[in-house]
Amino acid sequence: MSNWKQNLQKFRYVMDALLLISFMLVSAPQATGVPLHEWFSLFFIVPFAIHLLLHWDWIQRSFKRLLSKLSARERFNIVWDYLLYIMMLLVFVSGFLVSVALLPALHISLNIQDFWSKMHHDTATLIMPMLGVHLALNLSWIVKLTKRMFAKEAK
Amino acid sequence: MKHLKQQWKTRTSIVLIVSVLVSLILVTLERTDWAMQINLQGYSHGSPEGEKPNIAPVLMYILPFVKELILIGVPMLLTLGVAKLAGLIKGMFKNKA
Repeated sequence: MSNWKQNLQKFRYVMDALLLISFMLVSAPQATGVPLHEWFSLFFIVPFAIHLLLHWDWIQRSFKRLLSKLSARERFNIVWDYLLYIMMLLVFVSGFLVSVALLPALHISLNIQDFWSKMHHDTATLIMPMLGVHLALNLSWIVKLTKRMFAKEAK
Repeated sequence: MKHLKQQWKTRTSIVLIVSVLVSLILVTLERTDWAMQINLQGYSHGSPEGEKPNIAPVLMYILPFVKELILIGVPMLLTLGVAKLAGLIKGMFKNKA
C-alpha cells in the first residue's frame, strides 16, 4: 500500500475510495444539515474532477469504442457512464439552483423554483442506484485492486 | 500525484468546458411545459419546516447512511445477479451451438 502514489491503478483506487466516501457524506443532508451539505457539495467537485482526469484514457477511448464492434456489456457500461455523468451534473446544477446556504453566503440570491427542488430531490435519489450499477459493472477491478492494495509485501 | 499532473491544464479545461456546456443545456429544462406544470402544482418533501421527526436523535445521523447503503447496494447486487444470469444463458447457448 506504501507505493500507491507511484502506481496509477493504486492511485485511482485510493482516489475512487475517497470519491465514494465523499459522495456518501454529501448525499446525507439529513445527517449533516443543509448548510454543510451545500458546502461539502461544492468541494465534492474536486474528487469528481479527479475521477474524470484519472480515467481520461478511458473517456478518450470510449468514443471510438462505441462506434466499433463491442459486447453488449461493454456498450452498456459506456452508455451507463455517460448517463451517470449527465445525472451527476443535473444533481449539481439543481442543487446550486435550490441553494439556501451556499449561494446566499456568497451574496448570490436566487428565486428558488419548485421544479428545481423536485429535480434535485429526485435526481439525487436516482443517482444512488445508478452508482450501484456502476460499481457492479466495475466490481472485478475493485476486488482485484483491493487484493493488491492489502496484499502483504514480499520480504 | 504525477498521474494527475499529466497535461492537467488542458484536460481540466476540457472537463470544465464540457461540464459547463452540458449544465447550461440542462438549465434550459426550466423553460419546458413540464417544469412550468411542476411550478404551478408546487412541490414539498420531508416533514414541515421546524417539525422534528419522532425518532431517536442518534438514528437521525445513522438512517440517511443506511438509506444510501440500501439504495446503492441493492441495485449493485441485482446487477451482479443479472450479469451472472446473462453469462450462464450465453454459456448454455454456446454449448448447444
